[in-house]
Amino acid sequence: MKSPSSSRVSAGNSGRQPGVSPISRSRAASSRLGRFVEFAKNLEMVQTVSLLMLVLVTIFGFDDWLFRVVSRVCLFVFVLHPRSLRRPQFWFALALAGTISLVMSWERIDNHKYLLDYWLWILFVVHLFGQAEQQQQIVRFSARFFLCLAFLAASGQKLSSPSYRTGAMFEHYLYVDSRFSAFGKLVGIDPSIGDSVKRRIMFLRSPFAEVEGNDIHIGGSGRARVAALVMTWWDVSLQSAIGALLLFGRRRTDELAHILLLFFIFTTYIPAPVFGFGWILAIMGFALAKDQFPRITALYIVSFVAILLYQLPWRQVVVGV
Amino acid sequence: MGMFAAADELPNRYAKVFLIDADGNRNPLVQLSPDDFDVLNRALEYPTRENFLRAASLMAGENWIPSFQPRPVLNVDINGQPVSESAKSFRTMVPSQLRPDRKLKRPSIEIQFWKLVYDPLTRHVRASLAETFLFTPEELLRSSREMKNS
Repeated sequence: MKSPSSSRVSAGNSGRQPGVSPISRSRAASSRLGRFVEFAKNLEMVQTVSLLMLVLVTIFGFDDWLFRVVSRVCLFVFVLHPRSLRRPQFWFALALAGTISLVMSWERIDNHKYLLDYWLWILFVVHLFGQAEQQQQIVRFSARFFLCLAFLAASGQKLSSPSYRTGAMFEHYLYVDSRFSAFGKLVGIDPSIGDSVKRRIMFLRSPFAEVEGNDIHIGGSGRARVAALVMTWWDVSLQSAIGALLLFGRRRTDELAHILLLFFIFTTYIPAPVFGFGWILAIMGFALAKDQFPRITALYIVSFVAILLYQLPWRQVVVGV
Repeated sequence: MGMFAAADELPNRYAKVFLIDADGNRNPLVQLSPDDFDVLNRALEYPTRENFLRAASLMAGENWIPSFQPRPVLNVDINGQPVSESAKSFRTMVPSQLRPDRKLKRPSIEIQFWKLVYDPLTRHVRASLAETFLFTPEELLRSSREMKNS
């Protein structure tokens, strides 16, 4: 998977040695960073993408039993025979199980799961080709295609939706959607406001209540309004910029798109617990950056860890559950 | 919510389900099982008559027992405060694992599909009835048989 780095650094334990100057400490840190960038640079792209996809389908895959069984069997096979990751049959099994899961419950599946299934089929096709260069070309092309398509289509849809443009959607979610409770509290929205809104809306939903004119004043807060507008325009402007910049296929615009994509990944998945989407975006970004931008590639690797760390139960701690 | 997002999604959609027995008594079903919720939510995601029929036939297959005491419907003002009891009342329907002790006529099911719209300028949430689906006992029986055979 990786070629060993030849650089050896003698200052690995410098933090523990008394009397070591700040300059040598910062040198040691930058050398560690250099080794990490070198490590990222030396990763084999297709195999790393394959391994990351296997992690993705095992942790954030489809929820039905068929896919869970197939993904765990694949993981088991990989642990016993790591070379199985290079076999098209391996990816065919996962892609087929994913497609069956999609067909069985297509009404309820989040749209990024469709993206996940496309990627499984891409990996199947990639592994039908024997030459590494051909495999890399397919992965790079698909990554750019899906990043452009997903971001431009998503921002187009959002801009065409009045309830999205006005910030109504995020404001309402900040009050009533438990996935946003922790973020709401972080930005200073008192949880009691959300509770009060939910209580009032319950009257609309209940058959044991008749609300005058089916219309209710929910109170709310100015802070939630501002937060919702910031979330709305931050999200749609970042998405449209990333999609548009990647269309050019130039080094300068690609670099800027990667920086924005990393910013999007690092920040979006703090409030929005749609980790599978974040992970697949990071895989596509990694694949695209791998041979051009070693430092950006290293940051994508950090983003995978960040997405996993966002899984920690900090939301419950913030909300106080 | 995912890549594509708008307010008209599951969190802002809901259904009111009523069981109408052979005598015409109409009572709401609120104590739904996880399976009932799952099928109903699928229908709310993709609100076609066929999908609501699947949910209705699943619920109609259960043995619903009305509570003895009717529960009055509350009148609620625009600020979300209950102000009085209306003349209308319903019985809470409780699902029972036991089979009915006598052969009952199959009920009809009415599903009201509602949507919530939030106006950030006035900070009002408005509920509007998008569609009402009424399923006859024969339709429910047919659908239930089809679901068993599939």
